[in-house]
Amino acid sequence: MTLSLVLQALFAGVTNGIVYALVGMGLSAIFKGSRVINAMQGEFAVIGAMTTVLLLTKAGWPYPAAIAGGAISGALVGAFIEVAFVRFMARKNASEDSFLLLTIGLALTLSASVLFFIGRDGHLLPPLGGEGVLIILDAVIQFHALWLIAIGIGATLALRAFYHRTTVGLSMMAASIDADGAATTGINVGRMRTFTFVLGGLLGALGGILVTPLIGVDYQLGLNLTLKGFAAAVLGGLTNPLGAAVGGLTLGLVESLAIIGISSSYKDVVAFSVLIVIMILMPQGILGRAGRRGG
Amino acid sequence: MTPRSLLWLAIGLVVWAVLPFVVPRYIADLLVFTGIYTVAGLGIGLLLGHCGIVNLAQATFYGLGAYASAYCTVMMGLPSIVGFFVGAAISMTLAYVIGRPILRLTGYFLALGTLALSAIASALFFEWDWLTGGTLGIGGIPKLDLFGFLLDRPSRYYFFVWIVAFACMAVARNLVDSRTGLMLRAMRDSSTAAAALSIDLQALRTKVFVVCALFGSLAGSLFAHHASFVSTQSFTVDRSISFLLIPVIGGATSIPGIVVGALFVTFLPELLSKLGDIHQILFGLALVSVVVLMPEGLVGAFGKLRARLTKRSSGHG
Repeated sequence: MTLSLVLQALFAGVTNGIVYALVGMGLSAIFKGSRVINAMQGEFAVIGAMTTVLLLTKAGWPYPAAIAGGAISGALVGAFIEVAFVRFMARKNASEDSFLLLTIGLALTLSASVLFFIGRDGHLLPPLGGEGVLIILDAVIQFHALWLIAIGIGATLALRAFYHRTTVGLSMMAASIDADGAATTGINVGRMRTFTFVLGGLLGALGGILVTPLIGVDYQLGLNLTLKGFAAAVLGGLTNPLGAAVGGLTLGLVESLAIIGISSSYKDVVAFSVLIVIMILMPQGILGRAGRRGG
Repeated sequence: MTPRSLLWLAIGLVVWAVLPFVVPRYIADLLVFTGIYTVAGLGIGLLLGHCGIVNLAQATFYGLGAYASAYCTVMMGLPSIVGFFVGAAISMTLAYVIGRPILRLTGYFLALGTLALSAIASALFFEWDWLTGGTLGIGGIPKLDLFGFLLDRPSRYYFFVWIVAFACMAVARNLVDSRTGLMLRAMRDSSTAAAALSIDLQALRTKVFVVCALFGSLAGSLFAHHASFVSTQSFTVDRSISFLLIPVIGGATSIPGIVVGALFVTFLPELLSKLGDIHQILFGLALVSVVVLMPEGLVGAFGKLRARLTKRSSGHG
C-alpha cells in the first residue's frame, strides 16, 4: 500500500462522500420537516441528472442553464409529491410505515418511467472544468472532482445559513420542532412541509447532476443512491441535515479505504455493515446527542 | 363452522383442484409462483401485521434456500430433501444470529437495517461465485420426485407447492392464535405494557423473525426446483421489496390477504405486460394507489365495503 494509493483512495472517498452527503442531506431535511423517510430520494438524483442530460443534448441549452433546469426539476417533483400524496395521507393520519411504502412505490414508478421514456442506456454529462486532471504524488484527481467537492461544501454551508439566517429556514425549523407552536406564531406549517420536499428534491438533484460526469446516470442509479444517502443520514443522526454531510463523508472514506484494504467488490458489503453496526451501537449517529440539535 | 361457510370451503377446494387442468400452461406456472410467493409473504406478514416490523431482507433467506437446494442437488448429488433442510437450518441460524442485535432497532432504523442486510447478501451472492455460480448461476436443478411421481409439469408441481403453502398458513394461524400470538398482539399495541407483564420482547421478535426466515428459505427451495436454474438476479434488493408488497397489498394481519397479495404481485405484472413496456409504471402506480387509498390492504378494504353494504341492507330491511 503506497502513499499515492492511499491519497487516491482518500480523494475518491471524499468525492463519493460528497455525493452521498448531498443525497443524505436531502433525505434528512425531508425527515426533519415531515417525519417521512423518503425512499425515493435517489430518484431525485436520477430526475435531476436526466433532465440536465435532456436539456443539454435534446433542447440544446447551455450547460449552466441545463444544470439549473435539472436542479429545479428535482425541486418541482419534490413539491408535487408533497402536494399530491403526502399531504393527503398526513390528513388521514397515515402510519410511518405507509409513508415508507408510498415512497417505495413512487421510486418504482419513477425508475420504470425513466426506463420507459428514456431507455435502458446510461448517459454521461461533460465534466465541469474540462477533461483535465491534477496529479499530486502520482494520485490522479479529475478537475470535475474538485468542482464537485467545492460545490458540495458550498451547498452544505448554504444549507446551514439557510436554516439559521433566513426567515423561511427558521420557520421550517420551528414547524418541524413544534408544529402547533409554529402555527400559533403564524407560520404556515403545511407550506413549510412542502418547502422541505422542495429542498430535498433540490439537494438530491444536485447530487445526481454532480455525480453523472463520473459514473453516468441510468434508471437503476436511484436505489443505490437512496441506500447510500439513507446510510449517510442515519450516520449523521437522521434529523440533522448537516450531520448527514459528516455521515456521507465518513461513508465515502470508509468505502474507499475498504477498497484498498480488502477488495473493490466488497465496497457495498463494508458500507452497509458499518451502517448496521453504527445503528446498533450509536443510535444517535456518529455525532451523538449534540449532533441532533444542530442544523 | 356454519353449513354455508362449509359449502364455500368445498367450492373453493374444487376450484383449487380443477384450476391447473383447465387454465393454459403459463397461468398454471403463475399459480405455482403465487404459491411460492404466498409462503415467502406469510413470514413478512407476521412481522408486519403482528410485530410492526418492516422486513426488507426476505430475498436473503429466499436466496439461501434456493442456493442450498441448488448446491446440494447439483454440486453434491444429494437428495432434494437435504437441500430443503440445509437451507432452512442456515436461514434460521442466520436469522437468529443477526436478529438478536438488529431487532433492537425500531421503526425506520429496523427497516433500513433489514434493507442493508439484503444489499449485503445480494453482493455476497454475487461475489461468492464458487458457491453460487455468480451471474452465470447454477443450472440443471432436478425436478422434485415424490415417491416415484415426478413433479415435472406446472400442473403437477402446483399441488405440491400449494400443499406446502397451506401447511405454512396453518403454522402461521396457529402461531397467531397461540399464547405467542397473544403476546405479539400485546407487544404491538403497547410494548411498554407488554414488557411490564414480563414478556421478553426481544426474544419474541427474534422468534417471529426466525419463522419468517424459515418460510423465506422454504419458498426459495421450492423456487429452485421449479425454475431449475438460480442466479444472483433473483435475489436482489428489488426482490425483497416485491416480497414486502405482498402483505402490504393484501393486508398484513389477514392470512387470506397474503394469498391475495401474492396473486397481485404475480398476476398483475403479467396482465399489464400485454400493454407493452409501460407495465412497470402501471404496477408502480397501482402500488401507490393501494397504499394511499387502502391503508389496510385489499382484504381490509373489501371487509369495510362488505360491512357497509350489510349495514345498509339491514337498515333497509
